[in-house]
Amino acid sequence: MAIINNDKYTQRINWHLSKYPDKRSAVMPLLYIAQEEYGWVSPEGINEVAQLCDMDPTQVKSIAGFYTMYSEKPKGKYWLQVCNDLACALRGADEFHHDLLHHLGIEEGGTTDDGLFTVEHVMCLAACDKAPMLQCNFHFMENLDMAKMKAWIEEKRAELEKENS
Amino acid sequence: MVKIVIDGKDYEVPAGANLVDAAKNAAGNDIPVFCYHPKMEPVGMCRMCIVELGMEEIDRETKQPVLDDKGQPKVRWMPKLQTACTQKVTPGMHVRTATKLVEDARQNVIEFLLTSHPLDCPICDKGGECPLQNLTMAHGPGGSRMVFNDKLKLDKHVPLGDLIYLDEERCIQCARCVRFQDEIVGDDVLAFHERGRSLQIITNSDPGFDTYFSGNTTDICPVGALTTADFRFGARPWELTEVPSICPHDAAGSNISLSTRLDRDAGGKAVIKRVMPRQNEYVNEIWISDKTRFGHHFTRSEDRLLHPMLRRGDTLAPTTWKDVFARVAGDLKAAGSDVAVIAGGAITNEDLWELKQLAAGLGSERLGTWTPTYGGADLVAKVGVGKGTNLKDLGKGDAVLVIASDLEEEVPMWRLRLKQAQDRGAYLVVANARHTRLEDFATQKERNGKPVSGATIRYNVGEAAHVMHELKTRYPEIAEKLAGATNLVIVAGAEGLTLDGSKALMQAAANFLISSGHVGKANNGLMSPLPGANGMGLHYMGFTPENTQHIMANPPKVLIVAQAEPGEDDPTAAAWLSKVETVITLSLFPDKTTHYATYALPIQSFAERDGTFVNGERRVQRFYTAQGPMGEALPAWKIVAGMREALGQAKPKVSAAAVMLEISNKVPAFAGCTYKDLAKVEKQFPDVGGADLYYGGTAYDNKGGLGVQIATSADAGETPAVADVTLPAVPKAKDGELLLLPTTRLYNRSHVFKPSVLVHPRVLLPYVELNEADAHKLGVQPGDVVEIAFGDDTVRVRAGINGTPAGVAVLPRELADKATPFLPTSGTIKKVTEPVLA
Repeated sequence: MAIINNDKYTQRINWHLSKYPDKRSAVMPLLYIAQEEYGWVSPEGINEVAQLCDMDPTQVKSIAGFYTMYSEKPKGKYWLQVCNDLACALRGADEFHHDLLHHLGIEEGGTTDDGLFTVEHVMCLAACDKAPMLQCNFHFMENLDMAKMKAWIEEKRAELEKENS
Repeated sequence: MVKIVIDGKDYEVPAGANLVDAAKNAAGNDIPVFCYHPKMEPVGMCRMCIVELGMEEIDRETKQPVLDDKGQPKVRWMPKLQTACTQKVTPGMHVRTATKLVEDARQNVIEFLLTSHPLDCPICDKGGECPLQNLTMAHGPGGSRMVFNDKLKLDKHVPLGDLIYLDEERCIQCARCVRFQDEIVGDDVLAFHERGRSLQIITNSDPGFDTYFSGNTTDICPVGALTTADFRFGARPWELTEVPSICPHDAAGSNISLSTRLDRDAGGKAVIKRVMPRQNEYVNEIWISDKTRFGHHFTRSEDRLLHPMLRRGDTLAPTTWKDVFARVAGDLKAAGSDVAVIAGGAITNEDLWELKQLAAGLGSERLGTWTPTYGGADLVAKVGVGKGTNLKDLGKGDAVLVIASDLEEEVPMWRLRLKQAQDRGAYLVVANARHTRLEDFATQKERNGKPVSGATIRYNVGEAAHVMHELKTRYPEIAEKLAGATNLVIVAGAEGLTLDGSKALMQAAANFLISSGHVGKANNGLMSPLPGANGMGLHYMGFTPENTQHIMANPPKVLIVAQAEPGEDDPTAAAWLSKVETVITLSLFPDKTTHYATYALPIQSFAERDGTFVNGERRVQRFYTAQGPMGEALPAWKIVAGMREALGQAKPKVSAAAVMLEISNKVPAFAGCTYKDLAKVEKQFPDVGGADLYYGGTAYDNKGGLGVQIATSADAGETPAVADVTLPAVPKAKDGELLLLPTTRLYNRSHVFKPSVLVHPRVLLPYVELNEADAHKLGVQPGDVVEIAFGDDTVRVRAGINGTPAGVAVLPRELADKATPFLPTSGTIKKVTEPVLA
């Protein structure tokens, strides 16, 4: 695993670097690429981004630590961020969040044993009208209920099994 | 100057000054701060310096101040409090610092800070000299409103490196340490992580917080969050006695304060508990390098030579001083004028004077320096940086050339200050045969959002003099910029050069300065990173490297080796030292030179005596006695004076001060350098060390003297003339061999640094750096053990591959357990299989 010398990312990395007069300006988009590759902003990812941006790894880690959309802990393949702020809570998001955790058998912020799902609650995602909703790897899933979620979870589990076999 | 009004009174302050500084200097009004530091850019993070701020109302038509009923200018006060540290003074600015509003705000800020602060002052190293303590006493609330025990509990023992520990609970997140590393040092290895209440100082670099200046962060930390591994839980600040001293390690001559205490572990005697910077804005400002700070342990090392020793057969046996003086006098008389002296760079002027007198009394002028590598000290005396030089004054329009020197490793304080000169706009040119740390800065185009300018020159090993001599033809653009600069400083070292090469380089550099008119004035001229703390003192006392070469080639009957270690430094030492009939060593430690000694005499270290050094900017500086002697050791000058008395030359002087008085009368350069003159101080900015240590940090204010800078002959009005440069042959490797390039490492295994155990993890294993192609040819992989053969000698070290020039192997001195060449030497390298290194 690496983002440097990885054909999958070379084009995107070069594009981000070319956008700015100063390499260090590209640090945030490159951190997203590192997160995409490793599933989280891993130490390896930080060092690679530091190398690409010509920065000290300390400064890159500082940036990764400041912004909540970078995860500095390993995450499941699907990082589910459930909004349970007031507006969502009024539409049952609290209960939905609780049931989701219960269904997956994990604590808040935890990851399932198969490494597929991580669930955590977040502050407003600006989709109150479509609550309960969540953000899966930064893509919105809206107007949810547990039945829909269970079906989706089974689908993903089946995909994993297929990959493994 | 502009007129501002602080608390109803008018003051004249410099235009554009920072409001905190201006209030302090002009009005003596101490606006409290935590994050602001006068040496760094303001950030307005801690909110402690908030004041009421207003501007005089100006009539838009007449552009005149609007007056009220009483004829006073009408002031428009800003609706909210403003941070004083981010304000620059402007005409008509009104400030209120003592109103109820301001006092309440200060109290609230302190209360907020204390909600996350453990208040473990009784066990905190900073307790007693803590800005947070002081400002809480001055402005804080009298009691706590914390009803529940709900303070944050965090890690109190986070090593940021081997030398600095972070206490996360105590940190008030002022970012002084982060900004120091970023703005002043230029190694941004500290940063904030997370945010809000989770905010912490981290390092994610490899190795961690490992710069040569890390200790300074503990001085400017306004709380006890950062502490040094050396002093941690070592003593309370109020128990310490401060003794002004001078760093004995390098040519910067950093002013330091030795904090001593009567210690149980030392049998109730005074010992150094820590080394702190002592403010001298001309020399080291308020900073010191980590070697200066942590390199004091040798003064109390158990390995020190404690008694005068006399050779009896194969061993040295202790004897009395009286016996030594009588015997030495006999040997000296028998030798007639066939006597020579070799002195190292860390020896004081008083010692050198007595040695010179002793030799003169016997009819000898053979006075040599150790190591005989750096030539051209005479040129530093002629066209060195002018009297009144302060590297802090270099900035826009000025230029600096550093050639043939790795300043980071040789004189870190100069590298720190020159990097800052570049930050202020100076043009920095770094010329060397290989990559050095300073080169990184010279190649940068922009730093911290500000453009910086610089250039680099790479040349073949040994060609520094050629490049300097032909700078105008080889690098016309760079030469033009340097010659056209308002002020120009050239720092010329001796890396990769023979002594002749070093002399040629210095002459070429002097010629450049003379022909471009950059001599005889402050902030212009030549500097040299001469080894040791007193390289220029050696010159003024008549000690030269040429003499050393002559002594090595023609060993005398009696040789006095004073605080020099040829046995440790020179692989060929055995050949010439064994030809000397009587070797007299004056040393701190028994070493490989004392093997050859008939008399091995213990001297006192800089901490046990008083004396003077002349730094690389020719500033004569005085240090004071901090702790009692080890064993029977005497100051070197006293030992030599004893010999002189036994010879019937002169009665010993009563004190080092009396020796210096004689020097100041007899040696023109030292005129006006009596101990009294050297102890003079003046008010310096920023204020440090006093009751207001929240402001500049815990560096000590200077009570021991700022020293006296010796004028160059150019300063004195003599017109220096351009002299011919004899370009010497460039050192070359023999066919099929590699050129071994000796370099300097700041952290090494010399006797004066080895006892600083806590720095050991940072001292590199003995190594040689090879070019990739050469390594491939030799079949050497990084980490392999190789045997290096030079002359009749060999040494085993680890190999590294790091882009050195082809055909060159970088072999740092004073890392291996035996002598390696101190001049470029041809040698062979072969891989050895058996593991032989610890």
